[in-house]
Amino acid sequence: MPKLTIDGIEIEVDPGTSILQACEMLGIEIPRFCYHDRLSVPANCRMCLVEMERSPKPVASCAMPCGEGMVVRTQSEKALKARHATMEFLLLNHPLDCPICDQGGECDLQDQAMAYGFDRGRYRETKRAVKDKDVGPLIKTIMTRCIHCTRCIRFSDEIAGVSVLGGIGRGEHTEVGPYIEQAIQSELSGNLIDVCPVGALTSKPYAFTARPWELRKTESVDVLDAVGSNIRVDTRGAEVMRILPRLNEDVNEEWISDKTRFSYDGLRRRRLDRCYVRRDGKLVPVSWDEAFAAVADRLTGVSGDRIAALAGDLADAESQLALKDLMTALASPHLDCRQDGARFDASARAGYLFNTTIAGIEQADAVLLIGTNPRFEAALVNARLRKRWLRGGLTVAAIGPALDLTYPVAHLGAGTQTLQDVADGKHSFAETLRAARGPMLILGMGALARSDGAAVQALARRIADSVGLVRDGWNGFNVLHTAAGRVAGLELGLLPGAGGRDRDAILDGCAAGHLDVVYLLGADEIPGDRFGDAFVIYQGSHGDRGAHRADVIFPAAAYTEKHALYLNTEGRPQLTRPATFPPGEARDDWKILRALSERLGKPLAYNTQGELRRRLAAVNPAFGRIDQVTPARWQAFGAAGALDPAPFALPIQTFHQTDPITRASDTMAACADELFRSAETIATGRTGTDG
Amino acid sequence: MGYLDRTARSLFLSELLSGLGMTLRYMFKPKVTLNYPNEKGPLSPRFRGEHALRRYPNGEERCIACKLCEAVCPALAITIEAEPRDDGSRRTTRYDIDMTKCIYCGLCQEACPVDAIVQGPNFEFSTETREELFYNKDKLLANGDRWEAQIAANLAADAPYR
Amino acid sequence: MAEFWTGVALPLVLIVAHILAIVVPLLGAVAYLTYAERKVMGAMQLRQGPMLVGPFGLLQPVADGLKLLGKETIIPAGANRVVFILAPILTFFLSLVAWAVIPVNAGWALADINVGVLYLFAISSLGVYGIIMAGWASNSRYAFLGAMRSAAQMVSYEVSLGLVIITVLLCVGSLNLTDVVMAQQSVWFILPHLPMFVIFFTSALAETSRTPFDLPEGESELVGGYFTEYSGMTFALFMLGEYANIILMSAFTVILFLGGWLPPFDVAPFTWIPGPIWFALKLALMLFCFIWMRATLPRFRYDQLMRLGWKVFLPASLLWVVLTAGVLVTFGWLPE
Repeated sequence: MPKLTIDGIEIEVDPGTSILQACEMLGIEIPRFCYHDRLSVPANCRMCLVEMERSPKPVASCAMPCGEGMVVRTQSEKALKARHATMEFLLLNHPLDCPICDQGGECDLQDQAMAYGFDRGRYRETKRAVKDKDVGPLIKTIMTRCIHCTRCIRFSDEIAGVSVLGGIGRGEHTEVGPYIEQAIQSELSGNLIDVCPVGALTSKPYAFTARPWELRKTESVDVLDAVGSNIRVDTRGAEVMRILPRLNEDVNEEWISDKTRFSYDGLRRRRLDRCYVRRDGKLVPVSWDEAFAAVADRLTGVSGDRIAALAGDLADAESQLALKDLMTALASPHLDCRQDGARFDASARAGYLFNTTIAGIEQADAVLLIGTNPRFEAALVNARLRKRWLRGGLTVAAIGPALDLTYPVAHLGAGTQTLQDVADGKHSFAETLRAARGPMLILGMGALARSDGAAVQALARRIADSVGLVRDGWNGFNVLHTAAGRVAGLELGLLPGAGGRDRDAILDGCAAGHLDVVYLLGADEIPGDRFGDAFVIYQGSHGDRGAHRADVIFPAAAYTEKHALYLNTEGRPQLTRPATFPPGEARDDWKILRALSERLGKPLAYNTQGELRRRLAAVNPAFGRIDQVTPARWQAFGAAGALDPAPFALPIQTFHQTDPITRASDTMAACADELFRSAETIATGRTGTDG
Repeated sequence: MGYLDRTARSLFLSELLSGLGMTLRYMFKPKVTLNYPNEKGPLSPRFRGEHALRRYPNGEERCIACKLCEAVCPALAITIEAEPRDDGSRRTTRYDIDMTKCIYCGLCQEACPVDAIVQGPNFEFSTETREELFYNKDKLLANGDRWEAQIAANLAADAPYR
Repeated sequence: MAEFWTGVALPLVLIVAHILAIVVPLLGAVAYLTYAERKVMGAMQLRQGPMLVGPFGLLQPVADGLKLLGKETIIPAGANRVVFILAPILTFFLSLVAWAVIPVNAGWALADINVGVLYLFAISSLGVYGIIMAGWASNSRYAFLGAMRSAAQMVSYEVSLGLVIITVLLCVGSLNLTDVVMAQQSVWFILPHLPMFVIFFTSALAETSRTPFDLPEGESELVGGYFTEYSGMTFALFMLGEYANIILMSAFTVILFLGGWLPPFDVAPFTWIPGPIWFALKLALMLFCFIWMRATLPRFRYDQLMRLGWKVFLPASLLWVVLTAGVLVTFGWLPE
């Protein structure tokens, strides 16, 4: 435990702590550009220079580990002079184009130039100019502004795991950029924008549209995957201008996926802003009253067992509870929150949660992925796995399609047979798991969204028992969901009741004419032709697949427009907050259901969101503990059954387009297009170096 | 004595007469008012009149949509929307000044890094309707074109003091 | 037939011509009095006054007149229409009728009657009726209050006005206005009767509701006083009447105290200038004083106004009548 003195204050720190970190503990601010908490330390910007006794030159505090008896001065004349000089050098070639720079107002260089720089320049020579690089539809590069801090290079190498960026050339001719000019093939590339301390890397869709000071910031949660990344929604007037990550060490650290960051333009396209009723085969705009009347008319005389309901991926906990209560009031047992057709036993919470928790991945040392591609399904879970792998000593194996997860993955097999082998202890990986201190199993929707899903789940449980995944203070059994609304639905029991039908049975029932009315709560991933002649009521935010088939459409708010509760795949309840208002006549989902229940003569027992939240907590206490994971008890679950030898298919084929919001987004479409073109390039063997 | 004095003053109306004397004297003093539409007073180069958006000599608009004027405007009279132009440069798609809100403080001109928004020498821009005072980008650019010579001269005259 | 021409028609035409000879210049004078007022007040307040209509704004009165002619005459719903319209006509009519006895030069009067002073006094006292009618007929609180103030004010100041006239008449011995002027051939009455001149002039201000005695139309409290509800031509008639009254009172003052058409000194250069010019010059001086007062003094409070009228002017003028009579009798200077 070295003890040192910084600015006259004594402090004792853990060995290996850098001076800069020690200063931060004391609340002393050290300016820096290249240093980043989550990246390796190159010490190449020299902005963090401090004076150290017995050292002839100032030292870079970010790279100097604390030593016993060090005496450091951060505000001495020498230290300040060093910073001044460094800043002057940095500004030599940095253009004075702050007025047209999107980083202006939130720029590290701008702020630190104000705090530590001279008020005028002495440099009269010509400034350097660098050609901008094309790195895809998400990131705009203005490389003249680059100060060569190499944060982007380190981020792509270390966090994103794609070694596409690097420094080329020497001295004044140094250029940072991709080795081969092409779109960055990473689902985390948007974080480069946050990481860049200057305006060299900025957001392309956001380019020039707003200034940080005009934006209203709303802290919220992302719902486009089941990770529940913490985000900040920046709005100007009635428009979402951009989405930024918010620090949450337990979930997303300080990163978010590109889908989370850039799909916001989908929030203003193809929106449903009023009710529609299908008349003579055409959807006609109507008032709320008329739409409710149409539904009430259709439902009169229809018995409960001829009504069904399906909840979609983006449905919040409140509306799912309201839907369940409404269906109960209508005496319908046919309801399901698994619109992708996943089948598993949801009787025990441990059977459908990510029990290890995302932060718990850092304690793992052997991971078995079953029918999942975490890179696409939960990019930040994959980033955690990579972070754990970088530290060394992690073995990852996958059953299902072969994967590129940015770290080595042993491919054990394609389907249930391999899984059976591992369960029976015949496979060598079973031994690896048994020997590991933190063994993990991640069961994806690719393995569960099959006719034998429950049997696969039971098999996975058998593995858990046989290799000892569940130990004292450790639960290595994990289910990785793909839908933000799913866990809430499962926790609330939005599942087929006694004698009820699940998704496939509902669709079959529609086709066979056993069901008359289907209520879709934002369920868009269902082929429209399977509803037969059923009367389809669609409630959702976008005019997507569900609305296309619907007979009545209720416009609802998207996740940036409402107070809502979402449970991520760990079962962590998190709140979204309204950043804007819903467009037109659209309303909060639960309010629509509440109003409809009134119209149907079966009013739900809550009038305010507060009452609804209390009811949520009464149904399942997990909902009452916001931002906290309620650990699941290890109980029996799963149902034995015949296993289908077919290989596991991955649930997400196109990372960028998975739900109505991302499908409505032009940016996401451009990304998907770019990815497709790159794949084509690779397929044809053209690398860009062949002239 | 005081009583006598007061009585004498009121009897001989001395205050009244001195007042009359004063108005009479003022009658022959030079007038301070101007015969406005025919005569105009001098304007400082710093005069803050009607707004104008300037162009470069090659016809390119100066404004780069940095939004500093919008941010500094204490009356929130300026509204700017921007997006990349076809050539990739940063330009406004909308530049509105609500002249009924404007307090003519000149901070927008001070804030502008490219001397694009200026308050010109024109103060005779009254209109018959309110709506005409909601200036848009076209109107402001037209103002700039119309007053450019004088604005440029004013800026040059004031430059040594900045 | 010829008899008709010589006996009826010709005198009629002559009388009409006489009347026109008085009224037309009078109305012109009224118009340019408003112009002069604005110019003089402007000058005293370091302004330029009207400058836009015509050279130096000389056509401003014409423009104002045309404007008033073009405006709609609004009659309030609750007004008594007949009285409402009659009131400005009466005011205007009275202000013109009084001019019948004003001599501009020796014998230059429409009616050189022997009781000219009484006639003038009577006519000017009638002026209060126009105002009362206007205030009452308007059916408006402001107008009514203005009219009440005006009536009280005129009645109060007429008393001292009458006493001042008596003082002058004592020295003249005739009620004929020409005689009044001729009696000042040796010395203008302003010299022996200076305090009476001041009282008379002040009372004339009050009589014509001019600043500092413009309470009947005190804008700050009564909007526009008795002509709050008047607009267009009816308003114009009031204005004309009021300004004609100012000129009338000035002419009366000139006749009583400033020797009418007589030159100040009966010696060569002064006697070359004809009488009417002298009269006009003196008249202009008095009018200037009216405007000068307006530009200098603020408005009186109502109680101050009443106190001045009843407690200062009345005893003072009464004393002066007694004093004058005493002096005249003692020294035997009574006129024949």
